[in-house]
Amino acid sequence: MKKSILLSMAASTILTAGAYKIPEQSLNGMALGAAYIAHTTDADTAYYNPANMSFLDPEVRYFETGITLAHLPSNTYAGMQVLPGPVMVPSAVASGESEVENIPIPYMHYVAPAMGRWRYGVSLVAPAGLTKRWKSPVQKLFAEEFTLKNVEFNPVLSYRVSDTLSIGGGLRAVYSEGKVYGDGTLIGVPIKREMEGDTVEFGYNLAVAWHPTDDVAVGVTYRSKIDLNEEGKANLYLSGIGRQFDASVSVPIPAALNIGISKTWNDKLTLEFVYERTFWSAYKTLDFEYGSPIQPALYDAFDKSKPKLWEDTNTYRLGLTYQYSDKLTLMTGYSYDESPVPEKHINYELPDSDAHIFSAGFKYKQTENLSWGAAILYDKKTSRKVNSAVTGGTGIIGEFSDGGAVLITAGLSYKF
Amino acid sequence: MKYLWTSVLAAVMLLVTGCGDLAQPDNPQVEGGEVVVNFSPELMKKTLVSKGIVDENKTVFGYTAYKIPYTTTDEEGMEVAVSGMMVVPTGLPEVVTERIGLSLVSDDHGTIFANDEAPGVIGEKTSAPDGAAIILTALAGFVTLQPDYIGFGDSNDHYHPFVLKKSLANATVDFIAAAKQFASDNNIKLNDQLFLTGYSEGGYAALATLQKIEKEGGPQVTIAAPMSGPYAMNEMAMGVLSKPTLGVPSFMANVGYAYAKTYGKPLTDVINEPYASKLPALFDGSLTRTEIDPQLTTKTTGEDGLFNPLLVGSFFQDPDHWFKQAMLENDVHRWGPQTPVKLVHCIGDDVIPFAISQLAEGTMKAYHATDVSIVPVEIAITQDPGTAIRFGHAECGKYAYGVAAKIFGAARAAVFHY
Repeated sequence: MKKSILLSMAASTILTAGAYKIPEQSLNGMALGAAYIAHTTDADTAYYNPANMSFLDPEVRYFETGITLAHLPSNTYAGMQVLPGPVMVPSAVASGESEVENIPIPYMHYVAPAMGRWRYGVSLVAPAGLTKRWKSPVQKLFAEEFTLKNVEFNPVLSYRVSDTLSIGGGLRAVYSEGKVYGDGTLIGVPIKREMEGDTVEFGYNLAVAWHPTDDVAVGVTYRSKIDLNEEGKANLYLSGIGRQFDASVSVPIPAALNIGISKTWNDKLTLEFVYERTFWSAYKTLDFEYGSPIQPALYDAFDKSKPKLWEDTNTYRLGLTYQYSDKLTLMTGYSYDESPVPEKHINYELPDSDAHIFSAGFKYKQTENLSWGAAILYDKKTSRKVNSAVTGGTGIIGEFSDGGAVLITAGLSYKF
Repeated sequence: MKYLWTSVLAAVMLLVTGCGDLAQPDNPQVEGGEVVVNFSPELMKKTLVSKGIVDENKTVFGYTAYKIPYTTTDEEGMEVAVSGMMVVPTGLPEVVTERIGLSLVSDDHGTIFANDEAPGVIGEKTSAPDGAAIILTALAGFVTLQPDYIGFGDSNDHYHPFVLKKSLANATVDFIAAAKQFASDNNIKLNDQLFLTGYSEGGYAALATLQKIEKEGGPQVTIAAPMSGPYAMNEMAMGVLSKPTLGVPSFMANVGYAYAKTYGKPLTDVINEPYASKLPALFDGSLTRTEIDPQLTTKTTGEDGLFNPLLVGSFFQDPDHWFKQAMLENDVHRWGPQTPVKLVHCIGDDVIPFAISQLAEGTMKAYHATDVSIVPVEIAITQDPGTAIRFGHAECGKYAYGVAAKIFGAARAAVFHY
């Protein structure tokens, strides 16, 4: 398989927001837990609130790049699994652990000098992603590997309406690769799926920045929904004999509305609160389509539309920035993030739960032009008890625990 | 700045670089064919138990099906690339698979219209066991050979020579030879037992195959048990064309279509318009019988009937008419087989009358057949000569295959004791 080098590096496979959206896309964003909409100060403004580009130094070009190393501990499942039949798989067999993942994710942001009231910028980020790999027998049937990788190219414009108000927006071009592998042979279900696909999809983002006073900033951003219509090939096996099909599946990157307000004291301490509404209800079904009829015995497992019926979520973020000295900036953040996945439709590809997210970081001004820094984020997922096996149906009866993520970002900023 | 934008553009170019193709499925490799179904004995049993076909105590064998390409000869004497499915039981004792060898059953399939109904195509598309091979292989432990025939499978672009004995026999005999070679190439040990069977058109093909083998030489056939076939084509045609309506118009339309093509006659000499113009599309392998029948008339003949009234009149009045002669040429019962023949047929058959097998039995005996007898299915399964049970043509198939499997099983046990 040919691979995009960039995409391989940007294996955006972390779960730092509910489900598979990734809001932390820069050093500041990581250190503040994405409580970074109203008061944005660097090249990453192009991504977090492009309207704020109007309030950056108009003569200066801003550039930032960095890399995030994501460590994803394994998820643990303890409980039973009800398979069609119905066949009850006892917990001694059905319990299992997902694989530990360690993934590097690069990013880049740029803001050009102002041209009158206009200014442009560009970001290259990984806005969403997911990977779950299970080796345990039952889980392997559903998600031997379930991976969604995305890279977004996001050129943006801002327009300064007045000294206190600016608007902005941009185009979102997302390249995505999906991979869905499942294998039931270890539990005597002789079916297997290997699917790989990719797509390029487009969306938009809008932003408003209002600075009513020197020390108060308000920001509102909206990122549109993008349906990732992954198209590719699928090998479907029944009892060791496979056939290849054209295949497709659609998964949304949901629309998201962010409202942030910040207050700065003595040019040193800034507190920002962000409310995020993510419109996950767009994810109604997981429906694989094939170019020709598949083996009839595989229909229920691999062709039948699976209801998801995810729910819109709220996320509350709080970020604190402290200008310790001319050279050193300290940052920390906390977020509470709701899971969009309803109990009835949770599965091993994304055993999501509500999360408490803690973050911290610093930025050091090496020279007038060059700054560098690092940040760490800890995403603590709460345990989740599940009973999705409705009367006479199939599903999970047990508890997901562990999981979460630890992310470390190293970033470099340059102004010229 | 220039470098920056170059980098961005490079990144964008990388973004639109797509995935390559997913590698083809890693199916087991064999020489001269392709594995299309592979069910272990355990999985096969689990499947059959779950469907209520057998109970837990029944011995069930595994089912490995190979699609084998080979060549045969059509009615015009031209070579045609065709395909067939060879289904091999697994899980038999080593003494059978390594020393005694497996017995072969050549099973010619019944009338089909859609290419998707051909054995090799079903196996390839579903990856699951299907049809008569479940009885003959998974339950009875025979290697089952199912030629797709000319017109289906790999030769779907060729018209199907429906109930034309030469090419049906060719397709079967050539497949037996191809399958034996395949077995040899892939270390599947066979013994010398060869049984012939088939249902409906397949019953006709099985008897045509036996006739070809006895006439031209070929592998020794142990027993032939053709089932519910239209062996006496002339009498079948007389019966159908003398009735005002056709129960299943696609059957006779297909006879008219195939015979007109084979004997080089204009289709409109046989079939009336507008049906004649429709037939090439109706019989191109894309439609099933239930999709074809509504597009034809059930009126047998006349101005608005299916068959050209001139043809029907000539068939009954002119013994030298080409259609009459073609029917007689394609009868498969006017000879005396020296191989044991069991004519398996349901007494209640509503499509191919039981009387056809009675006629075949009597005729073959008159031709000094050594061992021909009728096996009425309803009596065979109830062991009651006075049974009132009757099975129609469609329902009869599964019972008939069970009866044939018992006949073959007894012959195998008599020699190999398994």
